[in-house]
Amino acid sequence: MKYAFYPGCVSRGGCPELYPSAVKVSAKLGIELEEMKDVACTGAGVLPQDISDPINARTFAKAEQLGLPIMTICSTCQGVMAQANYRLTSEPEYRAKINREYLADEGLEYKGTTEVKHLLWILFEDYGLDRLKSQIQRPLKGLRVSPFYGCFLRRPPEAITPTKELSRRKNYLDELIEILGAELADISGKGKCCGFPILSANEENSLAMAAKHTGEAKEKGADCMVTPCPLCHLNLDGNQPRAEAQEGKEIGLPILHLPQFLGLALGFEPGEMSLKRHIVSTQTVESKVSMLA
Amino acid sequence: MQITFKVYRKDPEKDGKPGRSNYSVELDEEATVLDGLLKIRDEMDDTLAFRASCARGYCGECTMRVNYKACFACTAKVSAFTKKSPEILLDPLRNIPVIKDLVFDWDAFMWNKITAVKPWLEPDESSTNGENLLPDSTMADLRKVMSCYYCGLCDEGCTVLPVDFDFLGPAALTKAYRFVFDPRDKAGRERLKIAEKPKGIWDCVHCFEASEHCPRGIAPTERIISIRDKAFKVGITNEKVARHHTSFAASVKESGWLDEGRLALESEGLTNIKGLMKLLPTAARAMARGKAPIPYLHPKRPGAEQIKKIFEKGEREKK
Amino acid sequence: MQAFDVLVIGGGASGLRAAIAVKGAGASVALITKVHPLRTNSGLAQGGLNAPLGKDDSAEKFAEDTLAAGDDLCERDIVRAFAQEASRDVIWLEHVGVPFNRSAEGRIDLRQFGSNSRSRTCYTDDRTGHIVLQVLHEQFERLQIPSFEEWFVTSLAVDGSACVGAVALGLRSGKLEPFTARAVILATGGFSRMYLPSTVSLGTTGDGQNLAFTAGARLMDMEMIQFHPTVFPKGQGLLISEATLREGAEIINEKGEPVLESKALTREKICLAMRQATQNGSGALSLDLRRIGKEKLASRFPQTLELAKTVAGIDVTKEPIPIRPVAHRPMGGIETDADGATSVPGMFAVGECACSGLNGAGRLAGNTLTEALVFGRKVGETATRHAKGAPVKGFPGSKLSDEEKRLAALTSGNFSGDSAGKIHSELGQLMNDKVGLVRDGAGLREALERIQSLKERHRKIKLSNSSRIYNYALTSALELGSMLNLAEAVALAAQARSESRGAHRRADFPERDDQNWRCHTVVSLAQGSPQVEKKPVAGGA
Repeated sequence: MKYAFYPGCVSRGGCPELYPSAVKVSAKLGIELEEMKDVACTGAGVLPQDISDPINARTFAKAEQLGLPIMTICSTCQGVMAQANYRLTSEPEYRAKINREYLADEGLEYKGTTEVKHLLWILFEDYGLDRLKSQIQRPLKGLRVSPFYGCFLRRPPEAITPTKELSRRKNYLDELIEILGAELADISGKGKCCGFPILSANEENSLAMAAKHTGEAKEKGADCMVTPCPLCHLNLDGNQPRAEAQEGKEIGLPILHLPQFLGLALGFEPGEMSLKRHIVSTQTVESKVSMLA
Repeated sequence: MQITFKVYRKDPEKDGKPGRSNYSVELDEEATVLDGLLKIRDEMDDTLAFRASCARGYCGECTMRVNYKACFACTAKVSAFTKKSPEILLDPLRNIPVIKDLVFDWDAFMWNKITAVKPWLEPDESSTNGENLLPDSTMADLRKVMSCYYCGLCDEGCTVLPVDFDFLGPAALTKAYRFVFDPRDKAGRERLKIAEKPKGIWDCVHCFEASEHCPRGIAPTERIISIRDKAFKVGITNEKVARHHTSFAASVKESGWLDEGRLALESEGLTNIKGLMKLLPTAARAMARGKAPIPYLHPKRPGAEQIKKIFEKGEREKK
Repeated sequence: MQAFDVLVIGGGASGLRAAIAVKGAGASVALITKVHPLRTNSGLAQGGLNAPLGKDDSAEKFAEDTLAAGDDLCERDIVRAFAQEASRDVIWLEHVGVPFNRSAEGRIDLRQFGSNSRSRTCYTDDRTGHIVLQVLHEQFERLQIPSFEEWFVTSLAVDGSACVGAVALGLRSGKLEPFTARAVILATGGFSRMYLPSTVSLGTTGDGQNLAFTAGARLMDMEMIQFHPTVFPKGQGLLISEATLREGAEIINEKGEPVLESKALTREKICLAMRQATQNGSGALSLDLRRIGKEKLASRFPQTLELAKTVAGIDVTKEPIPIRPVAHRPMGGIETDADGATSVPGMFAVGECACSGLNGAGRLAGNTLTEALVFGRKVGETATRHAKGAPVKGFPGSKLSDEEKRLAALTSGNFSGDSAGKIHSELGQLMNDKVGLVRDGAGLREALERIQSLKERHRKIKLSNSSRIYNYALTSALELGSMLNLAEAVALAAQARSESRGAHRRADFPERDDQNWRCHTVVSLAQGSPQVEKKPVAGGA
């Protein structure tokens, strides 16, 4: 299995621990990656559609040339690209216009055949759970884990969960936690927003949201939280100390990226997954995992 | 069939503490939750307070939670909620001040917020003869938005309202869309300024919960995004957001990808010493973990020139 | 005490339009409404509103169609003025923001609706009422008119012979408060909830007609109740827009054969044809919307598709939906002149609660909302003129305490066992059976007797809920009182009119009788009892 790998900006910027973990985990699973280097940021829901749709169409056209589906490791990249791809594939006239006006002068054309999938979806839909289970070397027994999806990995329905079967995507992370042998500490906010998108516009609300979700997980007895979205990670981990200060409560909940969490179950050591780079100490997770080894 | 309704109660004239009353009601197979409630009030307990008006799905007045799912009592068939057990829990919507029983404060929850976006067309007083000539595609878009029946389900699903009740919320901002995109409105730039006020469009996290909760498929989240995109085009008036978006766009335009360090600095404003000082502890924590991206040391991606061209073309397009 | 030049009671389309007009004419005005304006029954209107905007159309042709639907019982001068003014008011509505469906040229698209001889019905998909109501409410808010929402008017204040205000119960505050005004405009809507099922919202209970009637105003043409042919009759009753017929839908019998020979018929003629078909053994009737085609259904009748699914559980793109005629709107109401003035000085009425003679014995499909607009504007202007010239009168001293006592008597007892809901169900059934689409003398006599006994039971109702805050048991009991009084007026007028005309069909008098009955019925209170009189139709031939 081979994918055109779209790492996104944050996996090498604000969350530099994500990129290497994703690459290591993919290699271990036997997922071959061809990294897309000459493509741009998706726009992340900040740039208006008139700019971001052409930019993403270009990315899709490049993957189409490679003949590969795209793999993302970020809920936001995934969501923005899936929404753009939905518009570009469901409205052929719109696609033709973008091809004509934006891609043609580079000699590119997007035919509408590129699939964009987050690593989490790939595990369930392409890789297969039996194969995944056979790769587990360290079932994460006794580790209590809360899922946190990132909005764009669950909504909007037309782009993310277009069929009844695919509505199961809303539950993949819950399922994965149990598949990897950990205990699910379910939280009501797992599909809600982490607060990151309004960090600049309304910091107080943003931090309140981060505190709410991490606080809920803590109350449910979670040892850590796992997220497939580095932007959620920035707010839930990176801003957790500020959120604690604002809300006047101690939380101290380690937040793991999906590939890190997966990597621990595949037998990687915490150091290999760069857990040391987190803002909130991952000591409790590390010691629990080391007991399992 | 015999159904037990377990209904949320609160009496503002007593201790005002929430409780629950149970009522066992005989209903036919076709009965709705509203039928059950009317029967309870009429025959069993005339103190039970709930609202209803059109009674057939037109108006949104009887919005409540049935077995914790927000819906309309008048179209919710009892049989759909009693497959597992003949019990139905009825509660007011979440995160809303309750006045009495299932009657909550619509004014604070939605009507006052809608009024805050100045929800009226400023008509062209000089136009006299005949109707405005307008394409049906533009009108169809407004008709879709105006099919909103103010049921509040988008606000009930909103992720921001639980942490900030003063956020205008998707219902009011969708109402704002109806004027921002009505070519007959003469308020012009003022419209965007209203939508951009604190607690307005820039406080929305565009999580698509509102769109998922809207029973009419109006897609409130997409409407809010459309207003934001329009503000981006003509110039954002919220200073902090403008700085953030300008920096974001500039770094993608120049290098193809995001310069996060630069974004953090420029969002605060490079001359805003107080704001920049605030960043220091976070930056220090990140630096200690070897993860703070260094601003402006940001290599161009291959293909960046091409991306810049697309960007410039897109910018021309949107003017 | 709240004091205004003009008080508008009722937050639907007519009330909002009237309040806007009053403010525009420079008087102080407030609105009182028992539900939020956007929850009123106006929002249920679907098909559209008439204006003679087409190239092949004219005010004269519009007037002719309106008169024909009224079966020679319309006030002709009123109809002609209305037909002249309709276009101006509908264009105003476009200017202030209604996103009407458009033709290819960008003009307001016109659909052919009911027995209109021309395409003259302006529409917004099948949600015309809902969207017109929103736009009126927008302009109402623009003028920052004080709005007392969820306030229930319990009584009008009459000093000497003039109406000087009202007493209303704030549902949220639980307080009974007086409102003084130099003019009061009633815009409280119809009363079809006295029929079960019906096509109307729960609050369409004739409150305003009863307030006016008990305060000395007269009720006109109360026997004229329009039944709507295409209504899914289960539950509360779900109206499927009659506009679907002219767009290709068919009323079919059990074998799937069309029942109507023509679709350019008035509502009562379609209803009667359906009744005839059923009597001739057609079996249950249904409406086949599949003939419109999936695409057109989705684009022009989105609400119908949605509500048929959620309310009736039927996918109308796949199967026909069962229908039968169901009570829709009354033509009768509070007697007014051409400008909405009632026989009580200072009291005005507009919209479905009023009866100016515009609609005669049958209302043309698509005229309801236009009537709300044209007459809402007119009555607002007229009431303002009246208010500016009226002397300030005091609020009758004992009025408030009388109302307090009346409500206290209702809410201070132990639960009487009998309930407003039970009495209401019996009334609804009775009205359908005996004062329905077709009536006869014996049935009407029986109806009147049983209404008396229902009124007796209603008088004995006691509520155990003594609170005033959101006490909907209390307001339901008051609404039932209104419906019972009006039901009596309807049955009395129907009994008096010994002919068949328009919406009034007598099995024992099947013919129209112009010699004796080309006149209105008027019901008024004399020593506490309702009396029926005839009133000639003015305006000549």
